[in-house]
Amino acid sequence: MADKELQVAEKQEVSPERGEFTREGIYFTPAVDICETEKEIMIFADMPGVKPDGTEIELKEGILTIEGKVQALPSAGEQLLAEYRKGNYFRSFRVADSVDPEKIAASMSNGVLKLTLPKAQRALPRKIEISAV
Amino acid sequence: MFRWGLTRDLMWSEFGRIQRNLDELARRMSGPMRFPLEPAWRTSPIFPALNVAKEGSSYTVSAEIPGMNLEDLEIRVEGDTLNLKGMRKPEPLGEGVSYHRKERASGLFQRSLTLPSRIDADEVKATYADGVLTIVLPMEKAALPKQISVTTG
Repeated sequence: MADKELQVAEKQEVSPERGEFTREGIYFTPAVDICETEKEIMIFADMPGVKPDGTEIELKEGILTIEGKVQALPSAGEQLLAEYRKGNYFRSFRVADSVDPEKIAASMSNGVLKLTLPKAQRALPRKIEISAV
Repeated sequence: MFRWGLTRDLMWSEFGRIQRNLDELARRMSGPMRFPLEPAWRTSPIFPALNVAKEGSSYTVSAEIPGMNLEDLEIRVEGDTLNLKGMRKPEPLGEGVSYHRKERASGLFQRSLTLPSRIDADEVKATYADGVLTIVLPMEKAALPKQISVTTG
């Protein structure tokens, strides 16, 4: 699988049906990987051009929202080739109840955001003793 | 008369060809998924997608390749050609991990780009920051325009 040849994945603009933006700029949907282990759920999101301090993560009413802002630098000089567009990133996820919202951790390296959502310690099944009357 | 008829048929068939090509162009440019101002080459499948700008006497090539290890990237410059070669590895996850969603692609890539003039290979600088690769390629001195001063005799 690692030897597969990479193809350009077209950047998908956030469609207005899923919440229109009143903010400036173009918003793209970042490509994500979501995986799960016994203890946690991990989310990886490709947001090239976003600095760690340009990322906003919010959890509200069970919806986890990630937003990445790209610093708008006017492209200098004469553009000879433009195969991709630059813009901000936005995506939201519904988080399962099993996640402990207090322990969500995020890190950013080389344009990849990594979110770790640890699962809450499930209440252990209680054993109910029957006392003889 | 026969000759005229032949000419006319040829002419009409030429119009027919132009019409077919225009229809094809219109179909390609107004596809349901395409942003109307986007050119057709946007669907080029060669990774990575590149932006190239010319500023002063150098070219700037940039590409979005998030999550790369620098040791997996190879940049070569030869004459007027830039070669990019690399591999984007999947996240190193241990055992017992199940994927719910996998949209981020990993694999090998190779791309060559011919620039409008020869490059001074010793002065090429590449930086990789926040998943964006930026390569600044100065033109070769011989390719720069020269001003020739005229002396009076």
